[in-house]
Amino acid sequence: MLRYIDAELRKLVSLRAMFVAAGICVVAAPALAVLNAGSIRARLDAGDTSSLADWPTSQAGSEVGLLAAVAAVVLGVFAISSEYAAGASEVGGGRQIVTSLTCVPRRGLLFAAKAIALAVVTAPLAGFGIAAGIAAAQLRLGEYGNSARQLADALGWRPLGAVVYCVCTALLALAITTITRNGLIPLVVLIINSSVVSVSILLSRLTPLAKFLPDAAGLQLFAYNAAIEDPLSPAMGGVVLAVWTAAALLAGATVLVRRDA
Amino acid sequence: MIEVSRLVKRHGTKPAVHDVSFTAPAGRVTGFLGPNGAGKSSTLRILLGLDSADSGTAFIDGKPYRALRNPLRTVGSLLEGSGAHPSRTARAHLSWVATSNGISRARVAEVLETVGLSDAARKRVGTFSLGMNQRLGLAAVLLGEPEVLVLDEPVNGLDPLGIRWLREFLRSYAAEGRTVLLSSHLMSELASTADDLVVINHGRIVHSGSVEKVTAGHASLEEAFFALTRKDDPC
Repeated sequence: MLRYIDAELRKLVSLRAMFVAAGICVVAAPALAVLNAGSIRARLDAGDTSSLADWPTSQAGSEVGLLAAVAAVVLGVFAISSEYAAGASEVGGGRQIVTSLTCVPRRGLLFAAKAIALAVVTAPLAGFGIAAGIAAAQLRLGEYGNSARQLADALGWRPLGAVVYCVCTALLALAITTITRNGLIPLVVLIINSSVVSVSILLSRLTPLAKFLPDAAGLQLFAYNAAIEDPLSPAMGGVVLAVWTAAALLAGATVLVRRDA
Repeated sequence: MIEVSRLVKRHGTKPAVHDVSFTAPAGRVTGFLGPNGAGKSSTLRILLGLDSADSGTAFIDGKPYRALRNPLRTVGSLLEGSGAHPSRTARAHLSWVATSNGISRARVAEVLETVGLSDAARKRVGTFSLGMNQRLGLAAVLLGEPEVLVLDEPVNGLDPLGIRWLREFLRSYAAEGRTVLLSSHLMSELASTADDLVVINHGRIVHSGSVEKVTAGHASLEEAFFALTRKDDPC
């Protein structure tokens, strides 16, 4: 099993999607945090403190959790869509899935190895992006910034919750793309859902059950101001997200095992 | 040794493979001959555990492919070109393949040398020609020093020199007592490489035996092939 995970790690880190995800977490996340913190600082300098009630300075930089989730979606989708991408027809039109399944015909193990490799790569990358975002924002705030101790008190478990959310998001993307085999639709839908507008949040206006949907539940892992009424507790949100993730992985594995390559 | 027995595969209602049985014994090169769409690839995909059969069995050394542990050390296979993602380098591709089967990564440089791709080891597969893709696929076949080779249209895209190299390579591989099964729609190629032939048309085996036996009574393998397959064709 370890050699399967090793092989999947090698595949994942040599994909172009890895550069994109790393770029989002290492460059874009701190850059966005600096921009946002800069505008907060400008407002505070001008004596405008109206935003602090909803968004205290200790939370500056935490918004990059959503950006890290986008990176997680990219990794999760391409980890499996790259297997099914056909080469140019003039050079044989081969797909990597044929190689993968002839190397590891025990498909359940192959899928498990892929999921583990994805989690192993996503967790530190998302963790770095979130930490870098918070640090960059606090530095940019200058005199309004918080010390590490103040931050730890104010944020608590939330940065860690955001990493868990990112890992689960990556695994959900992997499972969904395993079923669709094509990465385009999952990529577009999941990125829009996690960054621009959440379908679950919209649905929560219609039914209280929407809070049990994976992203609405998972957001409680690091949300400060719940966008939905009567949200789940963070622990319960984490459990609900984990159950969704496990169910999706099981569905993805079942499809992969039963389907012709 | 490869044993395929009473294999049936339908795509929807259309039978792709119908009651296909043949063996490819060790120490011989077995050619799997048939026109495009005759069921060669479908049969090989089932043999390699990629697709499941509706009925029948396909065994390699007495086991289905999916039951093999570290299968690349038993079977080297080539289907659908190199099976490498275009954004990877040749070396990165072979490295993960070797890792997945516990094969020493020192073998990567060796097989790249064997197929003449050492100079392109650090190039992305997306920049490769058809022939280079085919060579990369063959490099992966050889990684695990397998006892059995299963190759689908391996000469596809190879230049004349590459074709001759492959022919001699496969002959010597079989001469060492190993099993070689290769499919092709190129009759002249199989006539000069194979010991035995299995001829398939419209999903059914129409003839099998030694090359001499299949061609007996015909001017050439080509004549024999058309004679064997014509009776099935409406035209």
